[in-house]
Amino acid sequence: MLTGLFGDDITSTLINIIWLAIFFSIILLFNQRIQIWNYQRNAERATMKLQMLAEKSKEEALANIQKFAVEGSDIKSKVNSMLDFFAIEPVDRDPFGVLMRLEHILNNRRDRIKAFVSQVAPKAGRVEAANVEDVLEAAMALNFIFKVVRHFLLLGKKTKSLMIFVQLDMQLPLIMKIADAYYKAQKTFSSGKPIGDGFGPLVASKLMFGLPKRVIAEDIVCSELNIENRRVYVIKAEGPGGFVGKPGEAIKKLIEELEGKVARIFMIDAASKLEGEATGEIVEGVGAAIGDPGPEKYKIEEVATKYKIPLDAMICKMDLEEALTTMKKEIFEAANLLLDRLKKAIVERTKEGDVVIVAGIGNTIGIAQ
Amino acid sequence: MEANRRSKISIISMILTMGAFILFLIATVINHSYSQIIMFGGLALLLASWAIFFFGYKQPQIPIERVLTIIGCKNCDYKEERQFMEGDYIFKELGPCKKCSGLSYIMGIYSVTIKKE
Ligand SMILES: [Zn+2]
Repeated sequence: MLTGLFGDDITSTLINIIWLAIFFSIILLFNQRIQIWNYQRNAERATMKLQMLAEKSKEEALANIQKFAVEGSDIKSKVNSMLDFFAIEPVDRDPFGVLMRLEHILNNRRDRIKAFVSQVAPKAGRVEAANVEDVLEAAMALNFIFKVVRHFLLLGKKTKSLMIFVQLDMQLPLIMKIADAYYKAQKTFSSGKPIGDGFGPLVASKLMFGLPKRVIAEDIVCSELNIENRRVYVIKAEGPGGFVGKPGEAIKKLIEELEGKVARIFMIDAASKLEGEATGEIVEGVGAAIGDPGPEKYKIEEVATKYKIPLDAMICKMDLEEALTTMKKEIFEAANLLLDRLKKAIVERTKEGDVVIVAGIGNTIGIAQ
Repeated sequence: MEANRRSKISIISMILTMGAFILFLIATVINHSYSQIIMFGGLALLLASWAIFFFGYKQPQIPIERVLTIIGCKNCDYKEERQFMEGDYIFKELGPCKKCSGLSYIMGIYSVTIKKE
């Protein structure tokens, strides 16, 4: 047949032309179908992977809770319903007091999750309960990501719209990266290892180690020390449980306690790096270095503005996955480097007899003080 | 690395497809008894190109991560490195030091990745 196709008599030329016409019409008519099919296949594959991650993370959460649960209690259905737990953001069309309202809702949310953990895992201590909360949060995040991606996949299938698939396909690489990071984070949380985001607390704990501490705000401890005749107050979340605490509240309280006589505030935090930047790089700047949804940052900025206290920020660069998974050696070593630079900065930018606040911001899981 | 491998594969399959196209052209033009053989050659190239494009991509090897616990002493310069164990945390006190009578504690916990080729 193949020789006939390209033979030199009229019939075979005709057949040739017909074949070409069929070929082109297939490309022209089914072009979009083929594209949709291609994108759909991609999205289906991603959704399947997300479903697997969501299910595995749920099992991990269940296994974690099981360790501290009362025997014979039905935790599975309780955890299942908790995975869809949500918090509604406050209305911001009238922005007056929106951060106070947001804080209220965030408090509400955290209290509910805390209450849930103590209900399903009553045998967990303070530290274990905090880690179980984080494990549960990771499962909730993965469950949410899976459901949203599945929603757009099904919507695209239903409407047969190429554009829905294209939009989903464009965002999938980033979504998968975030999902992967959460999944790995959960493993780290369930074993209680320090994470990259614990950089700030690590630096603070190196200053605090061996000194007396007092609890100054919710889950936040404070120590006092002397660096070259400057009185330095160091604060961090209370480890080694997975706490973040309320550093804004703590700084505000501390400054009010000292009647505003604070020369400088140094904030140390982990910050997301741009692609191409090195992990563990230390960068300095000004402003409140804290990545909360707003309330804590607001408190720090407000009290610093009220008393005209300069805010210095020192950050360590890392990507999302590095921030949520076991602390890398580069980040661990950067803490010593930052400590040297911090001490130098305190000496350079303040006078003898001044009062300085150093705040280590982040999740202190696996880091005591 | 992953993206590199991927683009290499697509370049190879593109070259194969172009080769197949050229062979088909030759087969159409020369009009000889060889043309059939050349045609099958082109077909084989085309198949090879598809096979490489669809199956040539293998999952890259995942680097192995090890989590280490560094133990130090408050009195002397004793240092020990071991695998992370559940219950470890930074600044956990571990009792007497193996070298002197001081208190040993966990100085650090971090992960290192070992790339396996
Ligand atoms: Zn010793």
